[in-house]
Amino acid sequence: MNSRRMLAITKKVLRSLRHDRRTAAFLVLMPIFMIAIFGYTFGGEVEDVEVYIVDLDEGLGPADLSDLVIARLQGGDSLRILEVIRPSSGIADPVGYGREKVESGNAWGCIVFPADFAANALTFSPGNSTAADAATVTMFLDGSNLNIVQTVTSTVRSALSSVMVEDLGFVQPVNAVPDLVYGEGRDFLDTFAPGVISLAVMMVTFMISIISFIHERTTGTLARLLSTPVTESEVVLGYAMAFGLIGLVQSAVVMATALLLFGVQVEGSLALVLLTVFLLGVGMQGLGFLLSANARTEFQAVQFIPIILFPSILLSGVFWPLESVPELLRPVSYLLPLTYAVDGARSVMVRGWGLEEIWPDLAILLIFAAAMLALSIVLMRRR
Amino acid sequence: MGTFAVRTEGLRKEYGDIVAVRDLCLGVPSGCIYGLIGPNGSGKTTAIKVLMGLVRATSGTAEVLGRTVPMKGKDGRVSYMPQELALYTDLTVHENAQLFAELNGVSPDEFLEREREVLEVVGLWERKGDLVGQLSGGMQHRASLACAMVNKPSLMFLDEPTVGVDPELRSGFWEHFRSLKAQGMTVVLTTHYMDEASRCDLVGMMHKGRLIAEGTPAELLEDAGRNNLEDAFRVFIVRCRE
Repeated sequence: MNSRRMLAITKKVLRSLRHDRRTAAFLVLMPIFMIAIFGYTFGGEVEDVEVYIVDLDEGLGPADLSDLVIARLQGGDSLRILEVIRPSSGIADPVGYGREKVESGNAWGCIVFPADFAANALTFSPGNSTAADAATVTMFLDGSNLNIVQTVTSTVRSALSSVMVEDLGFVQPVNAVPDLVYGEGRDFLDTFAPGVISLAVMMVTFMISIISFIHERTTGTLARLLSTPVTESEVVLGYAMAFGLIGLVQSAVVMATALLLFGVQVEGSLALVLLTVFLLGVGMQGLGFLLSANARTEFQAVQFIPIILFPSILLSGVFWPLESVPELLRPVSYLLPLTYAVDGARSVMVRGWGLEEIWPDLAILLIFAAAMLALSIVLMRRR
Repeated sequence: MGTFAVRTEGLRKEYGDIVAVRDLCLGVPSGCIYGLIGPNGSGKTTAIKVLMGLVRATSGTAEVLGRTVPMKGKDGRVSYMPQELALYTDLTVHENAQLFAELNGVSPDEFLEREREVLEVVGLWERKGDLVGQLSGGMQHRASLACAMVNKPSLMFLDEPTVGVDPELRSGFWEHFRSLKAQGMTVVLTTHYMDEASRCDLVGMMHKGRLIAEGTPAELLEDAGRNNLEDAFRVFIVRCRE
C-alpha cells in the first residue's frame, strides 16, 4: 500500500470534477434542491379543503352549538367553507343538496349538523345515555384522497372537542396527553432533514461512482492504470477517499442550508452526523463500484441505479417510519445501509445522542463500507 | 548473447473456446525495436496484455525484464500505451502526465524535467494546459504516447501506436522510437502496417494466435524469397498451413 499512489488517484477524481463544472454543481446543488423540494412539500400541511356545511341544528335554549363549531372551523386554515346551508336558505333537501356537491366533485366534503345536534350534545349524560343519544355530525367525504379525508375528519373532531371543553367548560372523562421525551418544539423538517441529507449523499455518491467506474473500464483507462505499479487496493481506496470527501462537502452544504435557510436545529454533535454520512458515502461508492463491475456498458450500469434507489427512498425510514413498512419487506429495510445512516443521523440531530448510543449504526455502516471496498478489490484482481 | 527484455515459453491464452494466443515463444533482446505484426485478431494485443499482467495466461510462462509475469508489485520500469486512447479526457495533458508519473513513482522534481522533455518530443508542450478531450485525434494520440514515456521506462509496449496518425507524424514517431532505442530502451510495438514492420530491428509475424515467423526484416525477406514483407507474410501463412 503506497499512499502517494493512492492519493494520486484521489487527486485525479477531484481534478476531473474541477474541470467538469456542471457535475460539480450537480453534486452541491442537487442535495440543496432535494432538501428544498422535500422540505416544502412534506413540511406543508393540507389547507383550504373546500367543503359545504348543512346546519339543521335547532339549538337548545339560547345555545346554538353548531354555530360555535362552524365559527371554529371558519377560524382555522384547514377548511374553506363554500357555503353554509340552513333551513332558511329555502333549499328543499339540504342534505341531498350537500351530498350532491360532493358527488359532482364541487367540494371534497359536506358536513351535516342534524336538527337535534345541540339538544343531544347538551343533554347527554355519560353512564345513562346510549350511543343513539349522542350528538352526531355526519360528513360526506370524497375518499379519493385519504390525506384530505384525514384532514377534514380531524379538523371537525378537534373543533367539536374545543367547543365542548373551551367554550362550554365541559370536562372530558378520559384524556391522552403526549409529553415528548425527544423532539419537543420540533417541526416536521427537523425530523426529516437527517433523512434527506443521508439520502442526497447516498444518491450522488452511488450514481457518480457507478458511472465513473464503468467509464474507467470501457475507455481502457482502468487497464492502463493497472499497468502501472498502482495496485487494485490503491485504486479502490483512492476512489473511496475522493468520494468520501465529496460526500462530506455535500453534507456540510446541505447541513448549512438546512440550518440557515430552514432553521433546522441540531441537538447533538455535527461532527458525528458528518461521520455517519461519510461512512455511508464510502459504502455506497463501494457498492456502485461493485455493481459497475457486473455491467458491460454504461447503459447496463445505469439500470442498477433505480434498483438501489427506490427501495432506499421508500424502505429506509427517510419519509415513513420502518414500522409502516410491511413485514414482508422489513428485511429489505434492514439490508439497506441508508436505514442505519438515517437512524444514526436522526438520533444525533433530534435526540441529541452521542457515540455511546449510535455506535451500532456506525458499526454497521463501517462493516458495509469495508465489505464493499474489499469485494471491489477482490473483483478487480480477478479480471 | 545479449539479455532478453521479454521472453515467453509456450504462452497460451484462451477466452472460452477461442484461442487468442497459441503457444507463443518470443524473445525480445534488450535495446531493440521489436514489431509484432499481423492482421487484426491475430493475437498481438492479447499477447501484450498478458505480458503487462492485465490478463492471465491460460498456460505457459513469460518473463519481462527478468521478472516472471504476472509480476507481484510492478516497479514502473515497464510502460504501456494501449490501442485505445485510455487517457482521462476530462483532465489536462499535464494532469494526465502527472498522474502516470506519480503512479510510476517519478519524484515531483524529476517530473518537472521529464514532462517538458516528453511533451516537447510529441509537440504538445504548448498545449499542456488543454483538456485532452479538447485535442484533435492525432494530438490525443501523442498525449497518450507522452504519458507512456513520462516515467522513462526501460521497456515500452506500444499497441498500434501509429493507427490513425497522419504520415508526417508517423515518421516523427519512428524517429522518436529510434532515439529511445539509442538511450537503451526496448520498444515492443504492434502494427498491421507491413511498411512499418520494415523499420523494426526484429519482427515477429503473428497469424491466428501463432508466431509464424521471426527475424530481422532482411532475414524474413530472404527466407520467404520476396521483396516486401507483405508478400513474405503470405508465404509464411502458406508454409504454416503445410
